[in-house]
Amino acid sequence: MGSPCEVLTDGGDKQLAGRVSLLVAEEAWRIEDKFSRYLDGNIIHRINTSQGDPVEVDAETGHLLDFAATLFDISAGGFDITSGVLRAAWVFDGTDNIPAQADIDNILGRVGWQHVTWADLRLTMQPGMEVDLGGIGKEYAVDRCMAMARSATNVPAMINFGGDLAVTGPPVTREAWKVGIEGPGVDAAGKRVALRQGALATSGDARRFLLHDGVRYSHILDPRTGWSVPDAPSSITVAADTCTQAGMMSTLAMLRGTEAEQFLAAQALLHWCRR
Amino acid sequence: MSATLAAATCALLGTTAMTPVDAQEEPKWDFNTSLLYYGEDENRVQDLSLKSIIRRLFADDRTLTLGLTVDSLTGATPSGAIRQDVPQSFTRPSGSGSYIVPAGELPLDDTFKDTRLAITAGWQQPTGEKGLLSAGFSASKEYDYLHTGVNASYAHDFNNRNTTVSAGFAFAKDSIESVGGAPIPLTSMLDVGDISNRVGDQDKDVLDVVFGVSQVISKNLLVQGNYSFSQADGYLNNPYKVLSLVDGVTGDTLPRIPGNEGGPSGVFLFESRPDERTQHSLYTQAKYYMNGKVLDASYRYMTDDWEIDSHTLDVRYRWPIGGSSYIEPHVRYYTQTEAEFYRLSLDDSAPLPQFASSDYRLGNFDAITAGLKYGWKTRNENDMSIRVEWYTQSGTVPAGQLIGNQASRDNYPDLNALIVQFSYRFLR
Repeated sequence: MGSPCEVLTDGGDKQLAGRVSLLVAEEAWRIEDKFSRYLDGNIIHRINTSQGDPVEVDAETGHLLDFAATLFDISAGGFDITSGVLRAAWVFDGTDNIPAQADIDNILGRVGWQHVTWADLRLTMQPGMEVDLGGIGKEYAVDRCMAMARSATNVPAMINFGGDLAVTGPPVTREAWKVGIEGPGVDAAGKRVALRQGALATSGDARRFLLHDGVRYSHILDPRTGWSVPDAPSSITVAADTCTQAGMMSTLAMLRGTEAEQFLAAQALLHWCRR
Repeated sequence: MSATLAAATCALLGTTAMTPVDAQEEPKWDFNTSLLYYGEDENRVQDLSLKSIIRRLFADDRTLTLGLTVDSLTGATPSGAIRQDVPQSFTRPSGSGSYIVPAGELPLDDTFKDTRLAITAGWQQPTGEKGLLSAGFSASKEYDYLHTGVNASYAHDFNNRNTTVSAGFAFAKDSIESVGGAPIPLTSMLDVGDISNRVGDQDKDVLDVVFGVSQVISKNLLVQGNYSFSQADGYLNNPYKVLSLVDGVTGDTLPRIPGNEGGPSGVFLFESRPDERTQHSLYTQAKYYMNGKVLDASYRYMTDDWEIDSHTLDVRYRWPIGGSSYIEPHVRYYTQTEAEFYRLSLDDSAPLPQFASSDYRLGNFDAITAGLKYGWKTRNENDMSIRVEWYTQSGTVPAGQLIGNQASRDNYPDLNALIVQFSYRFLR
């Protein structure tokens, strides 16, 4: 998952905590093995090396692709799992190294879910295109693991994968799970959330950006233009019923750039937006 | 958009329904302000007190708490002298005037008027996973009194946070800057302008140590107990209290001719308390939660080397009304035995004791406080409450202390007081 992952149980004994942690870890590894774009031989690798041939996928992959298709629709193309290839042009290392328009145009020809044929568990992509479920995977893993922890024990637990987290229910020894919202700058670590049910997810990374002619280019890329989303907040945290919803809402808000706050306010979800 | 996303998420996770999120941002600021009126009947002490507590929450559960209290005290308080069948005159504590108490009335010193300003500051932070460390500072200033104190405590959770063990101490250094100077104990109240028996400022140190345990017994029951020890050293007298020196047969105050400028009409000796007091107390409390209602009962036993033993029983019951208000009846019963050196008056025919005080608060008395609190949430989720309570105290002077005519007088009149408090709390 590319980040520290933890399971907290409130009450129960060491044995139970160990048992739940193991279940969660196994599920997290399973999802990572199956959907990581860095591993050879998994379903993502097969899709990305299909060279225009149709690929049959299993039901779970199908659900994820259906979900990605829905997100593509509701974001009018802003959320696109085929946009990962743009990373070849953009390296967010804090320098002023922004790509040339020609390089972007060159890659944009291989971006766009609208160019994909997806039906009946069969996916066909044009050669050179790639899918990347990295934008969904961690949140999906948190929700899957949460469901497993809930079925394994009544003891309340929190699943936290690098700040994207969900709880199985309110804790027993205290009134709520207390989660600190970290942000860059002076306001960091001042805000705290009392979570009794549901999930929190954060999008954005204050350290990943480019600076050119005084303009800050965030690492949020708009697949429709190939450019960094102008004036995107540095990070957005959203509270929602599930980690998947929280994560997707924060990503969709990021894509709105200047209008991120306006978008979040309209969703009637508890959120924290930092610029 | 939310609905589409929710439906897509349900499909992805293979569920049909999701439990709705329950999350709130924790407020950083907690402002708690109250205005309290305490008024004793028959024009005795009246106190109007404004208190404000501000708490700031920082990251990692660290909190800073600042408190400010302003009291305005007025009214009359018993001087300690006994009633007489003739009018009595007294020199004011300042030594610069006198007042007259009509025949048959309890001598009250009506010069009692003060403003008290108190501040507190406290810092609290977790230490490790299970510990909580607190440290604080307090100071208060009245016209004739200065208090400064420090305190610290540590609490540690055990047993899945079901048990908390704590230890703490408080140390206070107070200075008594009596109006007109502190009188030398057991010397007479002198004529107006004569300050020959007055000395300068006095001080006292008080050390309190407390050890406590609280235990979660079940989901509904929390109990706690603590033992505390208090050691006071220094000037423990009330510099304004006197005792009447009386005839060993009639029990009437020995008469005296006041000076030209005015002065006492009888012999009144300033009280004398030991310069040390050690108290031990045991306290137990239980809170029982039943379907939204909370029963909170506590009992305290206190004993000290002045031979005062006291028992306090306190019961309150919080009863929710609808979703956003509650009513809370409260009853408190208090009883204490008198201090070993409590005397209604001093017998002229016997040698003077080393220690003596007729302060009614050191006597044998019972007190009941009964009242009602009503609390509600305002439209913008702030807490308000109003509390109205009655306090009644009745005491007795041990029969063996009554001399001659004293037996037919009311030597320990009942004290009644009304308490009204309005509180407002908001979080930001």
